[in-house]
Amino acid sequence: MKNRKRLFIIAGILSLIIFLIVLGVGHRWSSKHVYYITGGQPHPVDCIPCHVQPQRSGFAGRFLKKHYLSPLNIAVSPDGRQLYVIAQEGNALLVVATDERKVISKIGVGERPHSVVLSRDGKFGYVSNQWSNTVSVINLAEQRIINTLNAGSGPTGLALGPKGIFLYAANSYSNDVSILNLESGLEIKRLVAGRNPCSVQFSPDGKMVYVTNLLSNLAPFRTSPESEVTVIDAISQQVIQRKNLSSAHLLENVVFTPTGDLAFITLARPKNLIPATQIARGWMMTYGVGVIEQDKEGKAAQFLLDEPNMSFADPYDIVITPDGKLAFVTHAGADYVTVFDVEAVRTLFAEATPANLATYANDLGLSSRYVIKRIPTGPNPKGLAVAPDGKRLYVAERLADRIAVIDTEIMEIVETIDLGGPGEESMVRRGRRLFNSAENTFQGQFSCSTCHPDGHEDGLTYDLTGTGRNLANVQTLRDLNGTSPFKWNGKNVSIYMQCGMRFSKFLTRTESYSSEDLDALVAFIKRDLSHPPNRYRNASGELTSAQLRGKAIFERTRTNDGRSIPSKDRCNTCHPPPYFTNRQKSDVGTLAATDSPVVFDSPKLSNIYESAPYLHDGRAATLEEIWTKFNPEDKHGIANDLTKLQLNDMIEYLISLEAEPSWKEE
Amino acid sequence: MNKSVPKFSLKSALVAICLLAGSLFWINWDTKPLISQEYSEMDQKISDKSYLIEENDKKAADTNQTTSMPIYNHWRTFTTRDGLPSDKAHCVRVDGDRVWVGTDNGLALYEKGRWYTYTVADGLAHPTVLSIDVSPITGDVWIATMGGLNRWSAGRFDKFDQFNSGLINDVVYGVACDGNNVWAATASGVSRLNTNTGQWTIFNTENAPMHEPWAYSVSAKDSMVYIAVWGGGVVEFNTRIERWRDYRDPDKEMEIDLFPDDGLVHDVTASVSYENGILWVGTYFGLNRYNGSRWWGYFDHDSGLASNFINFVKARGSAVWICTDKGLNSFDGKTWVTYRKTPNNNGGEILISEGATIVEKSAYSTTIAHNFVLGVDFQGDTLWVATAKGVSRGVDQRESTIQSP
Repeated sequence: MKNRKRLFIIAGILSLIIFLIVLGVGHRWSSKHVYYITGGQPHPVDCIPCHVQPQRSGFAGRFLKKHYLSPLNIAVSPDGRQLYVIAQEGNALLVVATDERKVISKIGVGERPHSVVLSRDGKFGYVSNQWSNTVSVINLAEQRIINTLNAGSGPTGLALGPKGIFLYAANSYSNDVSILNLESGLEIKRLVAGRNPCSVQFSPDGKMVYVTNLLSNLAPFRTSPESEVTVIDAISQQVIQRKNLSSAHLLENVVFTPTGDLAFITLARPKNLIPATQIARGWMMTYGVGVIEQDKEGKAAQFLLDEPNMSFADPYDIVITPDGKLAFVTHAGADYVTVFDVEAVRTLFAEATPANLATYANDLGLSSRYVIKRIPTGPNPKGLAVAPDGKRLYVAERLADRIAVIDTEIMEIVETIDLGGPGEESMVRRGRRLFNSAENTFQGQFSCSTCHPDGHEDGLTYDLTGTGRNLANVQTLRDLNGTSPFKWNGKNVSIYMQCGMRFSKFLTRTESYSSEDLDALVAFIKRDLSHPPNRYRNASGELTSAQLRGKAIFERTRTNDGRSIPSKDRCNTCHPPPYFTNRQKSDVGTLAATDSPVVFDSPKLSNIYESAPYLHDGRAATLEEIWTKFNPEDKHGIANDLTKLQLNDMIEYLISLEAEPSWKEE
Repeated sequence: MNKSVPKFSLKSALVAICLLAGSLFWINWDTKPLISQEYSEMDQKISDKSYLIEENDKKAADTNQTTSMPIYNHWRTFTTRDGLPSDKAHCVRVDGDRVWVGTDNGLALYEKGRWYTYTVADGLAHPTVLSIDVSPITGDVWIATMGGLNRWSAGRFDKFDQFNSGLINDVVYGVACDGNNVWAATASGVSRLNTNTGQWTIFNTENAPMHEPWAYSVSAKDSMVYIAVWGGGVVEFNTRIERWRDYRDPDKEMEIDLFPDDGLVHDVTASVSYENGILWVGTYFGLNRYNGSRWWGYFDHDSGLASNFINFVKARGSAVWICTDKGLNSFDGKTWVTYRKTPNNNGGEILISEGATIVEKSAYSTTIAHNFVLGVDFQGDTLWVATAKGVSRGVDQRESTIQSP
């Protein structure tokens, strides 16, 4: 009995020792792991934020998922008694009674809805569903969908013609504008726009339609971005003008003055051609509005909304009061609404010489002459709507699941309307807020979202090192899970390292994210940033005949004349499924004279068609150019023996690639 | 080494030689002397009696009493002096109130009485513009050049070439818009761009019955696409059922058309135009008409065709306009009208023919810029003609009171 007791004690002690050893070794290993993952940034050893929170599927994914609404855009009924709010993450249109300040109905729409417009009589609502490629037609009295119209790929902004017959939809992914006939329910035509068109607006006389484009047109290598406002003649329904705003980018929304003499467009002015390290001089990014005169000359200018020591990042929506006196702009990255005097801008614009106008675009002090007030809001203010009487302004506080109500006379938030989200802020949600906030950058100059709009990429090449070397084409953040390392040179082994100390010290000139914030940011990027459904993929998942032929070329082991292709020179060696990257570095013969002697990380290829321009410095405007122009020595896969027919088939296959859906959200 | 000569080859050769000799005899004794005689007579008349030309100009409308075909007169020619980038105009395309002209030195736009020029610096893929079409849906202008395909959309040039897109070859001879598709006829086959999806499809000798790679012209209408393949006849693509069909010269003879109206007169086709269910084919050896069941062949020796060497054809209703190296024709299936500059460069003449018989001939003080005609298009009652020495604009006499400038 004694022996058994003794044995029991010894075994217990031994177990404890082993446990402590395992714990110690485990902790030590974990610490090293965390140190490695974060790139040396102090961070508590905690498995859950990194390994559980980002899960999209499975028990943990379902358990941790909160059903946020994320109000994006708003419309007000003609009598002002109801608001129609797009719940972007809730896939719904919320009907809000303005007097009761509560949601009275929730109408399920398509996937990832974006905008809502109402018929003039207020009987019908039209909702663009960006991921479903449709427009939902809603009978507002019955609060039900009565029709679903097919649009182009990724419909976002909508505008209804004066007679209510034609609906214009900006197709953000197919870079065009659909014109839908509401009587027949059919798309009658598509007009080519700029890149990533996002909002549409009729001029007050109904004769013109302005379309803004989020991304600048693809420009020659190392030239300033130029962004297009696409002008459509509403009578002929053809594009009649393409107004280019120089050095401008991220043209989100457009509004006309009630008299129609001016159009205002929210925009950013990136300084991607000069070293990003000049951020301390206010040279990284500025924000403002573009103004276009509606007379024959069509004079255009840009006015900044920033101040010398303070940026107001990511301007999104803009509205003008019915009397035409005040304009309101949401700054999604700064959590402010700016109010400016329309007449002051009109006067400046009218009196300025062309030389003056050119300087206005970079004059940070000018805003004091027209900005009247800054109204702080909840996180990530997006869509705006003015009540018909002009007395109330509604602001979609996207990451608070709330509508702020601003009294336009006193220019303050007087009340808020809770839309009924989960209330508490999850770790992932917090990450989303951080991602969209510019508060962590020097003078609030930009948020993560500025260069990665919608978690994707802005299509620009930046000089991040500050030496004119190692120019970097911005890469998407969508569906990053499982594709490490990151950066073109593959030096960041994790998103933690990418977003952590290295980024904050080097680029933003401000303090690092706290470990909690970093956990949240990474969890958000891993969990919530996804590519939209691949537009070149059949719904059944089957490849087309051209894609099948392209797949055979992608996986081929012999050249057309029968020579064996070494494994390292085959496409699927460096780009194998499921993510189409082997996560290794290679020399693909694209090193420029201005690049340090490095090899490049093999990028993932999911939804690669969304990522023009291509290669590490954005020198290839199209996928074809990777092989027709920048692969002279067959270093980027043996491809010079391909016929044009074969190359086309391979491109067809490439654009159909998407990550295995197994780890996508269930 | 045994050399055996197949019997059928000898027979064929003998038949061909006999037919060729007969044809040449007939041509020599029938048409050519008549035409040259007419020329010399008319030259004499023109030089001796200039008043006759003035009379014709004044009484131009009377000519229309002979035929229902429109007769164009009061020609005005535009050259580099007027603002064209080059006198050599390869094509002309009317776009509402605007007129586009493709030259060997840039793209020209005629708008509100002024010429504007677009060059490579503006985004044009290549200075030599060979064909232009305008999308009736979007209003975008598609431009075929020797260095790729351009889309001109409200002032913006988008360039598509074999390096940056799925276009099969940079030498684009012809372009045609067909709903949401744009067809480009190139030196290596045909490319189709779906403007809605941005996807390219290639058709060439590997996957279509093209026989030769050189696609010179493309015409698309009413779900049918026709392609003139230089040396390969004509290929047809039915877009509804996605099916190809080829049309070849049945006799396969290079020098003669062995049996009349049996099919294409020659495999060396240069231009196609399809409208009202009728396909017109211009070859370097004559003209064809095809109504879906029957072929007709036309030659300069048996019809009013100005020349067998045809650069371009353009259908309008049930009639066709034919651009040849010896003048411009129109033909409605019955009556031929020929416009040509007279050799002494002193105005021009219009010939009206029924079959090979000239029923009326009139001299005029104005005419097309040059007899080497490369393109034609219609702007209401105005006809625009691209020639090797400038662009000419004529007015339908029935509709207009415009006086010669």
